[in-house]
Amino acid sequence: MLAIKIWNYLKGYVIIRIEGLSLERLLNLALTNNIYLWDVKKLNNFQVEVSVSLKGLKELEVLINKVGCKEEILIRNGFPFILERMKKRKMFVGGFIIFFFIIFMLSSFIWKIEINGALQTPTEDIISFLNENGVSTGTPKMAISEEDLKLLLVNEYDYFSFINIKTQGVKLVIEVKEEDLPPEIVDRNYPANIVARKKGVITKVVARNGDAVVKAGQIVKENQILISGAMESADDSFYLVHADGEVLARTRYEATVEEQIVKKVEKETGRKIEQNGLKINKRGIKFIKDIPFDNYKEYIEEKKLINWEAIDFPIKILTYEYREVELKEIKQDIDFIKQANQIKAIEKINNEIYEGAEIVSKEVVHNIDGNILTTTVYVEAIEEIGKKVIINN
Amino acid sequence: MKKSIDDIKTNLSEALELPIDITLDLPKIIIVGNKEISIFNHKGIIEYTSLMIRINSRIGIIKVIGEDLEIKNILTEEILIVGNIENVEIIS
Repeated sequence: MLAIKIWNYLKGYVIIRIEGLSLERLLNLALTNNIYLWDVKKLNNFQVEVSVSLKGLKELEVLINKVGCKEEILIRNGFPFILERMKKRKMFVGGFIIFFFIIFMLSSFIWKIEINGALQTPTEDIISFLNENGVSTGTPKMAISEEDLKLLLVNEYDYFSFINIKTQGVKLVIEVKEEDLPPEIVDRNYPANIVARKKGVITKVVARNGDAVVKAGQIVKENQILISGAMESADDSFYLVHADGEVLARTRYEATVEEQIVKKVEKETGRKIEQNGLKINKRGIKFIKDIPFDNYKEYIEEKKLINWEAIDFPIKILTYEYREVELKEIKQDIDFIKQANQIKAIEKINNEIYEGAEIVSKEVVHNIDGNILTTTVYVEAIEEIGKKVIINN
Repeated sequence: MKKSIDDIKTNLSEALELPIDITLDLPKIIIVGNKEISIFNHKGIIEYTSLMIRINSRIGIIKVIGEDLEIKNILTEEILIVGNIENVEIIS
């Protein structure tokens, strides 16, 4: 019934009032002529209100004349009548369409460029570089290829280790992660602070420009300001400069290597058993058999029941293979392990140590805990720990 | 004569478990509470007021008495009446 009502709404229907004496006869005639009537309301003995479709109305009018009644249209309902009304209100419809068109147009442009994570590169610099390459506020979104833009930025700023570009509505968001730059490369036209690259104990501060806020002997954390670019002038106000200088600090590196003294080595004895299983989708069924070995290794092999290239057939046959292994204990020479561990630990430190750092001390600690020999190597170095970070970026 | 044919039809539909309203061309009346009554297989309206509706069928006149009666739907096979139904009578 609902489907019929929706259909009638789309095709249009009217509510009419019929006046006359032989109303029952009219209804029966409508029935025999297959005219669908609904919401038939009898108002009094000679008046009835009826809903009828537009198509049915024409046929009903013929019947109404035949039985000698009069009809009056009360309400016109449905889509065709709305369309009719809209035809008279051309400006309204036009405005409606223009409204959506404008919304669609405006939302297909980039209206804001946001750059996150650029600490050492001035944002203005990146934006002007983007502008030169045809990406600015007012560029249609369609014209921007995120992949191409990424390549452009990587080529221009080779010290960016990570670039992510996405459009959020009308905003172009560029996320950037920079590698630590040597201080000379940072653009000197912008005010900057020198902050600590890593934690350490300050041994020497030479501020060529800016205000040194740490002293020798002080412990600094990562990202703590060492030389501030905000200078106090005579009248208690601040002005910003590009801080410059050297900050040397004693830093500490450590690396730990563990090794078992008595090593367990597995050796296959050659005995093995096999059993089969089924795998349907991701669920496996195993036909359980007792495994007669104390120590064993499990190998699982998967085979498709039907091998078609195009279709990933969901039923697979699994073959479980259990191979018996023998555990053998081998005792290693402690002095030899100590030597080997120390070399491994120093290699680790060499990988992460800052270029140009001067090593001042080295300490090796061996510790035997049960079966495990732990070797820790501590290295202290004096190095430049300053890193320039642009202010207000 | 007609009665004997009807008897045969009744027996046959009982034996074959066929719906009796189809084999005998009887009206099917469904009453939902006192709110709604639908009559399938009717033969037209005889009288229609908001207090009483009389509908023709093969077994005679079905008389529905109530208040605020309204024909919600009217099709050749089906007629749906809503309102406060008080009395349904079959006059054969």
